[in-house]
Amino acid sequence: MSTPLEKPQIISHIQKGLNYTVFDSKWIPCSAKFVCMGNFARGTGVIQIYEVQHGEVQLIKEIEKAKPFKCGTFGATSLQQRHLATGDFGGNLNIWNLEAPEIPVYSVKAHTEIVNTIDGVGGLGIGDGAPEIVTGSRDGTVKVWDPRQRDTPVANMEPIEGEAKRDCWTVAFGNACNDQDRCICAGYDNGDIKLFDLRNMSVRWETNIKNGVCCVEFDRKDINMNKLVATSLEGKFHVFDMRTQHPTKGFASVSEKAHKSTVWQARHLPQNRDIFMTAGGAGSLHLWKYEYPAQRSKKDADEIEMGVAGSASLLQNVTLSTQPIASLDWSPDKQGLCVCSAFDQTVRVLIVTKLNRV
Amino acid sequence: METEQVSSMLDLGTTKSYKIPVEHLDYSFIEKCTDVRHLEKILAVLRSGEEGIYPALTEFCEKKIESLDPRSQALRKEKPPATAASFSSDEWREIMCDLKSWSKEINQRETELKYQSVLDNSENVPPVRGSNVFVPSKQNKINKGKTSKNKVVPREYSEWDKFDVEKECAKVEGCNKEKSSPGLINHGLPKIKRKIDTTGLTDKEKNIIANREKDKGNEFFNAKDYEDAVVYYTRSISVIPSVAAYNNRAQAEIKLQHWNNAFNDCEKVLELEPNNMKALLRRATVYKHLGKVKEAADDLKKVLQAEPENVMAKKLLHETEENKDMQSKKQPKGKRILIQEVEDLDDEPETESCLLVGGESAAEKGEMGNAQRKFPGRGDGGLQTEEKTPSTAKKAQTKRGSSEKGSYQGAKEQGQVNEFQRNESYAGDQTSPSSSGTDSSRPDVPVDSGALPPDIARLKSQGNELFKSGQFSEALLKYTQAINDFTEAEIDSPGDLSILYSNRAACFLKDGNCSDCIQDSTRALELQPFSVKPLLRRAMAYESLERYRQAYVDYKTVLQIDSGVQSANDSVNRITRLLIDQDGHNWREKLPDIPAVPLSAQQNRWEGTSANYEQTQQKTKGFGGSKPVQDTGKKTEALFLSHKQEGNDFVKKGQYKDALGKYTECLKLKSSECAIYTNRALCNLKLNQYEEAKQDCDSALQLEPSNMKAFYRRAMAHKGLQNYAYCMDDLKEVLRLDPKVAEAEKELQEAAELLSKRSVAPDSQEKQRKKIQIQEVNDSDEEETENTRDRNDGKEVNRHVGTGDNQINHCGSENMFPLQPTNAYEFGQALNAVKSKEDIAACAKLLCSVEPENLPSLMSNKLEVDSFTIIIQALDNHLLQKDPILVYRHLVHLHEAERFKMVSLLLGKTEKEQVKQLFDHLSTVESVQFTSDDIQNLAKHYLF
Repeated sequence: MSTPLEKPQIISHIQKGLNYTVFDSKWIPCSAKFVCMGNFARGTGVIQIYEVQHGEVQLIKEIEKAKPFKCGTFGATSLQQRHLATGDFGGNLNIWNLEAPEIPVYSVKAHTEIVNTIDGVGGLGIGDGAPEIVTGSRDGTVKVWDPRQRDTPVANMEPIEGEAKRDCWTVAFGNACNDQDRCICAGYDNGDIKLFDLRNMSVRWETNIKNGVCCVEFDRKDINMNKLVATSLEGKFHVFDMRTQHPTKGFASVSEKAHKSTVWQARHLPQNRDIFMTAGGAGSLHLWKYEYPAQRSKKDADEIEMGVAGSASLLQNVTLSTQPIASLDWSPDKQGLCVCSAFDQTVRVLIVTKLNRV
Repeated sequence: METEQVSSMLDLGTTKSYKIPVEHLDYSFIEKCTDVRHLEKILAVLRSGEEGIYPALTEFCEKKIESLDPRSQALRKEKPPATAASFSSDEWREIMCDLKSWSKEINQRETELKYQSVLDNSENVPPVRGSNVFVPSKQNKINKGKTSKNKVVPREYSEWDKFDVEKECAKVEGCNKEKSSPGLINHGLPKIKRKIDTTGLTDKEKNIIANREKDKGNEFFNAKDYEDAVVYYTRSISVIPSVAAYNNRAQAEIKLQHWNNAFNDCEKVLELEPNNMKALLRRATVYKHLGKVKEAADDLKKVLQAEPENVMAKKLLHETEENKDMQSKKQPKGKRILIQEVEDLDDEPETESCLLVGGESAAEKGEMGNAQRKFPGRGDGGLQTEEKTPSTAKKAQTKRGSSEKGSYQGAKEQGQVNEFQRNESYAGDQTSPSSSGTDSSRPDVPVDSGALPPDIARLKSQGNELFKSGQFSEALLKYTQAINDFTEAEIDSPGDLSILYSNRAACFLKDGNCSDCIQDSTRALELQPFSVKPLLRRAMAYESLERYRQAYVDYKTVLQIDSGVQSANDSVNRITRLLIDQDGHNWREKLPDIPAVPLSAQQNRWEGTSANYEQTQQKTKGFGGSKPVQDTGKKTEALFLSHKQEGNDFVKKGQYKDALGKYTECLKLKSSECAIYTNRALCNLKLNQYEEAKQDCDSALQLEPSNMKAFYRRAMAHKGLQNYAYCMDDLKEVLRLDPKVAEAEKELQEAAELLSKRSVAPDSQEKQRKKIQIQEVNDSDEEETENTRDRNDGKEVNRHVGTGDNQINHCGSENMFPLQPTNAYEFGQALNAVKSKEDIAACAKLLCSVEPENLPSLMSNKLEVDSFTIIIQALDNHLLQKDPILVYRHLVHLHEAERFKMVSLLLGKTEKEQVKQLFDHLSTVESVQFTSDDIQNLAKHYLF
């Protein structure tokens, strides 16, 4: 604290109050614009596009649809098209051309219940291979979609019949380092984390972190699995080193008590995979840096390789609101620029300084 | 202070929340306390204010905690976001200006992006994920393969701890593969493409991608994954070459000690930016390590001219100058580092022993007669030379002796003794095999050259001594002198000269003079082809020069000669990895040809010993079992080895049943040899006795828990038994042991596919059948895997499809192989399938689908008598009428295949008849492509 200016600082650059509940916010790639998705009080869904101009945000466009939007991603679209894929309360997956949003360019009834979470890969030059979208829903299923294929998912991961269906809260793509390899990580309300290998179509690994998994994210989608951050309901997050998988112990991990309440989000800096921000239930943001151990793997008693976890150190923390921060997104184009939305019906544009000196 | 004392006197109890004695809330206590946890509790009490508010004490406590544990959570305070006030006005202005200029720039970029024509780059994109297409998820949700795999069971944490894989696997009995996967290390290097396909992308996008790849490289660099970093920098360069990416790659290469690559990258940077300080510095580092002290100093001086304060440059310059001094006395240090890497491979200078192994086996071969005599090997040649040598040597000796007037008395004596020893050892080899024992004992008994003139012999032994004591350059001089004398004396003993060259090569290698080492090794090899040591040395030299391909070839040759050379095995693995990095998946195509080692040189050790043992046996028989008891151990050992060898031979000839018997006998003699189990497993697999194969693999794995072959074969056995889940387990284990085993990966995919298919099967045969049909018309990719499945598991298909369903079956057998086998593995698989069914028509199709030019490479070293026969039959019966030119071309290329000579020798009468018939038929065909003379010439290759 004696040298506050050498550490990264988090500046709340712009705040904008909204007249609806906002669930997700995302930067539009290659622009100074972002979208907010949410729920009008009258029960309809809304997408707003804002542009950062001269120290404030300008509303560019507002789109209202029948069902409230829960989540969205640009992960599976090309830079030229920049179509937004959304999941809504009705279980639909839609892909919108934001220039012509009257009818979706792709629409499917993906789930029987609300789509909690969505992620995309293969677009924007991130991740080799086909563009694919994964959705996770309260109906307990995780489905993978290819925008080129109508109506049916290309992969469907659901509990076998008779088993209790757990609410899937979060999904994330990873390991898309070449055309064939691709993994999906899904987190469930009972603390289960499952890693699906799309190449082998199998569960590669699963674990349980005791409390509901609010967010999982790979540090990068398009490299060999390196790290995975999973945040949980009771204020902890876990960083798994995904390099070395032990046959019984799985992946090594380090956990850190981050917030005094639920950690809603964890997002890695696109420009530096070892820095990530967590967003908490009490309106706080924590900026972390992961430090690798000297040796990332060691041999156990039976001469089997096992991973060694590093440690996470807190770089900065701020409190923005009293309400949970539900979404957080780093700008892919400008290092340190970030948008977050909270349940106080406010969207904020943040600037994090000195990230390149960390 | 006063109030505090009062309060503590009034209430000497504990605090409310943590039950801390109140007197602990005190400066002196906090000062002394080192228990962070306790201090944190005190801080919590102080902050809560339940015992009163003491701001100074609270701050004091915070400071104390910070000094003990700066990362303590208790120190985290809620903080408001930073505002303009938190920065100096300059900083704030900078931040805001930066943002403004960025938004302007990005807006411009966005408009540019909009006005660019939308290019369709869909051809770059892989097809829609195939395996789950068209499966209506509503109808058979439960049956779908991946569905069953995903069991969202709420598993309690404690339960997870007790998770027992074996039990769990047994419970789910093969059809449900809910289990923990084997240990894996995600080394993705071989999997990552080194080039990015950017067709159809705009410059803007390319720029973004190049930058992103570079960033990824930086991240890997920071995480000390230098190899990955190099890959990602390479990717970035493949999109748009940039100074930064080259520069960073140079640094990563330096970290990996790939000096040449680093040098090239620095050069590229300096080409683009002649005054790039970083590149100059890095080049200086490379120079320094390559021992080019002068160049390094030049570069560093340039840097210091521009940046006189550059600490790094100063330090390097200092080191370099030190090095320079040392160099004037000794060899540069940098070079030694490189050599140290390979040093452990082979430290001893070569003595005669190495050659003797070869020569002796050659002699034995001559004696062994029959089978081996056919081969035009160097066995006979070797023998002749050996016979000649003593006399010529003697001549030389007398010549020397007379010219130098007995001054070499002692040396001469030595030479004679040596000669005697040598002769004796030959005699021993031929007559008393028991003395030769196992070949491992051989190198310990250095038998010195007897054929050498005494002075040369002395020079050589002096050289050896010097080498052993580490004085390589002196040893070098001795060897050089010896070589000079040798050539002057015009002695006709290539073997001895070869050894001298080989020894000198060792000296060069030690001195880091790799190119001379290569030259000498090559000379040694010209004189004495296929001797292990010079090959090894040349390989090491190539490796240090980063000429990995040549090194690979040499190591491989060594392994062909003696597969037990551990250092060669290790190096081959290492180089394979490097080559894959360098050349990607097709690295093999860029390799120079690996010379086929004649059989006489190949297994000389084994055959040598087994021959000995056979003799021992005969002798034992001759003595009518009156041999002393101590020989019985040796005898069983001998029997064991000979059985094993016979078994191996049977396997090579494809007579798996016979081989099986031999191996079983082996195991009766000695049941602790892992290799026998794996070999027998192979036979069992070939004979479709999967259960037995599995048992053998189990035994092998008990002996050697990480035997990759055993895992792979057990996987195949499981596959045969239709236990796909187990099969996948084993394959994953194989991949864990060596992620590069392409076959295992392929099989794994196949097994996964099979498993998902099978879990559907029991429920709805009708549906399954439909599904196959859908997939067959679907796309070629899918068809391929489907058919592979058919081939591998005909039974299963029959069950699903129904035996009466001829059409599908027919379909399956017709396209049993990939239409265009692209590598030796695919081709081998296809050929095996054809062979097992004796489906000559299918073989003909297969031959149609490959370019004759590729045939030898596709065949690789897998050519066997039966495959040869079926190819000949296919050519004769099916292809000849359709396309005689193709037949001709195939024949032209077939005889270039690796094991062709070998196979042609093993052909039986009927096979030879068939070949003759084919050529007869072919010669009746008239074509512009070839004349009857051509055919006759060609026939000579096939018919001796």
